Amino acid sequence: MTPQADLGIFAVCVVAGLIGALAGVGGGILVIPALTIGFGVDIHLAVGASIVSVIATSSGAASAYVRDRMTNMRIGMFLELATTTGAVCGALLAAIVAPAFLYLLLGLVLLGSAAMQISRLGEETPPAGPPSALAIRLRLTDSYPDRKLGREVPYSARRIPLGFVLMWLAGVVSGLLGIGSGVLKVLAMDGAMRLPMKVGSATSNFMIGVTAAASAGIYLARGDVDPLIAGPVALGVLTGAVVGARLIQHISNRSVRLVFLPVLVVVGLETMARGLGFGI
Amino acid sequence: MSPERFRTVVSAVLIVGVSISAALIAAGFAAALAVGWQGSLAGSVVGSATPGHVAATTDFSNLAARLAALQPLALAQLGLLTLLATPVARVAASVIGFASERDRLYTAITAAVLVILLGSIFLLR
Repeated sequence: MTPQADLGIFAVCVVAGLIGALAGVGGGILVIPALTIGFGVDIHLAVGASIVSVIATSSGAASAYVRDRMTNMRIGMFLELATTTGAVCGALLAAIVAPAFLYLLLGLVLLGSAAMQISRLGEETPPAGPPSALAIRLRLTDSYPDRKLGREVPYSARRIPLGFVLMWLAGVVSGLLGIGSGVLKVLAMDGAMRLPMKVGSATSNFMIGVTAAASAGIYLARGDVDPLIAGPVALGVLTGAVVGARLIQHISNRSVRLVFLPVLVVVGLETMARGLGFGI
Repeated sequence: MSPERFRTVVSAVLIVGVSISAALIAAGFAAALAVGWQGSLAGSVVGSATPGHVAATTDFSNLAARLAALQPLALAQLGLLTLLATPVARVAASVIGFASERDRLYTAITAAVLVILLGSIFLLR
């Protein structure tokens, strides 16, 4: 890599980190094609760098999100139990399940969810109601300070068993296909558990780093992590994520959804394309 | 530990991990401009199993010796390893945090996540 290419990768990754921090996703969908198509990087090294980018987005943004009470650490750790066990199951299933069919299925689910997201574009915070007995027992109720609204917004996790099962499936899918874990997490927390977008995004951000760290050892051992490529990716994504985690304080939940929706559509289309056999 | 302090600690673990990692990667890139990726800031010859053989940049073995020689590549590699280890440190810090809050349920949940995480890092390859 020339210093010019390093700077180019750094700049693209600042954008990836920014979007990733706001939308609660890892930025792999942006980083992988940018590296392979834009900079001619080998696909294996690009995937290795994208694992680094997920962890960088997560750790860079989560430091601010945790401090600012945007992240719900209990919800994060509770659901992490589902995603990590799911990811292990997915990795074990990988040898016996045909991925093409799964890519198509996941693509359909994501594009279907995008339609549901459009119907929620006008919603600032989910409708409030008394917390369920399960939410109280698991202590999955809290509030977060919303500077844009200028008040404390209380919330409580709804449909917790459904959220847990969806998170387990998100883990299975990411273990099998290595993608989509961030968008599925945000969808489960928004769609099933009805958490405010900012809380869902920040908590997803908190979780994706752990899920990615679980598979980092495999990529290191395979020789897929090249500091000459993953280095500028890490520095760029960290910069973008730190900025994004501060920016979210000044925008509404509606705007967060507006950032998330196109990401969801792109991941859905990319997943469908892979299922049909012409992916990147 | 108060919830406030718990958040401060977890946040601090993340900031420290991320900062050390970014500093090492940046130092590696700056140093590489001066002496090349496989060179040495300490002026010593970086050890290799076979003379004249240059290890691939994706090879993380022999890291301690290469760090001692201040090899730019080794600095960047240590930075990446620090980044990859940060989520693990954060989960470990959360186990301690929930334990000090005497929240048995979440201490158990977080400890289980830590075990699965460490298991998949060291067993799945």
